[in-house]
Order: sequence, then structure tokens, then C-alpha cells
Amino acid sequence: VSERSTTAPPFEQPGERRKAEMKKLYGKDAAKILAMETAMQLTFDRNCDLKQPKYWPVIPLKL
Amino acid sequence: SIPTSAVSDADAEQLQKEQHARSVLRERFLRCVLSMTNKNVRFHMHERVKVEATFGASDIDVLNFQVSDLHTPIGVQKEALIRSQDVISFTFDI
Amino acid sequence: MQCRWPLLGPLRWITYVNKHVKVKAGKDEVLWGWLLTVDPVSASLVLMDFKEDGGASVQVVMGHAVEEVQIQQEADEETTDRLQASFLPPKTCGLDP
Repeated sequence: VSERSTTAPPFEQPGERRKAEMKKLYGKDAAKILAMETAMQLTFDRNCDLKQPKYWPVIPLKL
Repeated sequence: SIPTSAVSDADAEQLQKEQHARSVLRERFLRCVLSMTNKNVRFHMHERVKVEATFGASDIDVLNFQVSDLHTPIGVQKEALIRSQDVISFTFDI
Repeated sequence: MQCRWPLLGPLRWITYVNKHVKVKAGKDEVLWGWLLTVDPVSASLVLMDFKEDGGASVQVVMGHAVEEVQIQQEADEETTDRLQASFLPPKTCGLDP
């Protein structure tokens, strides 16, 4: 949809790189694991947006 | 000597075994983490710190735990993030 | 000598599954339980301890804190089944049309 010059390297589709990595790690189960992970990360991100949790303890116990 | 094709077949088989093992292990772990949602979790942290909280979610790299009603030694923090690096182990009941 | 736990990799970790293990973690924590799985991303272990009332307690030991893992015992068939069934999605009742 967005215009880009034909001389620029093609954009990497977001997620394509990750998909390829997942394929290497999980083989034929990559899609299943990716789907589970995507759902889990979405929940985490949504909860953080909603609840704005602060780190506890403020300073890491173990650096 | 071993023909190169035999070597690469063996490599491919080994890779598939490893991928299968990784996905079995990962799926079980993810299901375990999902089952913790809204459960009371006790964290054992470094420096002998022990806290309890209601589990919310974890990021997929298991770097942070998002929790609610965290009972710290100095009071309750309504919403908190716990760094997994600070944690030795945590426990919950099913 | 045991290689550093987080570096063992899936094919080694999976040999610990369904075993009763003793885990040394952090400076002085020792934990026991049936090993359900090892997260291949964080090398964290999931240990289960079944109670008489049918419940179970679950301990997750962070991979970075693991000092040593020792196998103590193999699971019998019943324990293996309980482990396998622990976090499966709830089965729908057999009443589907």
C-alpha cells in the first residue's frame, strides 16, 4: 500500500523473520507454537497497557 | 568414508528430533504458564525475598511476570512487574 | 560432570522428563518433584508434586538459577499419565452432536 522507491531493498514483512526463526527451532510445529506465543504475548502487552505495572523491586536484586 | 548424503540425512533426522523435543517441551511450558492466570503464586527471589501475588501473564521470553496484589515486605503493590532474573523459583497449586 | 543446565539443549532436557529430580537452585535452595517439562527458551524447569486430595503443587525453577539437577527415580505408569494430563486443555464432554 505504501509507496517505496524501486531501488530500495524490499521491506521485510513484519513477522516473516520471526516465522523463519520459529521454523528453524520448531520444525513442523512452528505454526502451533507461534500461535500460542502470539496469544500469550498479546495478553501480557494488553495487561501492561491496562494496568501500568511498575517493577518490583525498583532496583534489580541481581544485577 | 561416509557418503555425504548419508551424513546430511543423519543431520536432518537429528534436527527433526531436536525440533520435536523443543516443541513438546515448549508447548507444555506455555500451557503451564497459561494455567497460572489469576492463581496465587509464591515467588522465591534472590536475597531470600519471598512474596505472593496473583499471576497475570508472562512475556514469551520469560523475562517479566505481570502480577497483581503483590504482597511485599513493606505493603501491597496493586500492579507490578517482577523480573525473572530476580526469581529463583515460584510455586502454585492446581 | 554436568554441563551448565541452560546449555544442555532439548534432546538432553527431554531425558529428564517424567523423572523425579532433585534440583539445587540459587545459593541454597533444594527442590524436589516430578519433572513435567523444561522451557527451551529460558531453561526453566516445571516440577510437580501430587497431593492425596487429587490436587498438585507446581514449582517452576528459573533456568538461570539452576545449579544442579539429579535424577532420583523414574515415574511409574500412573505418575506418567498424571504428568501428561496436567495442563492439557480441558476436554469437552462427549456430548457433542
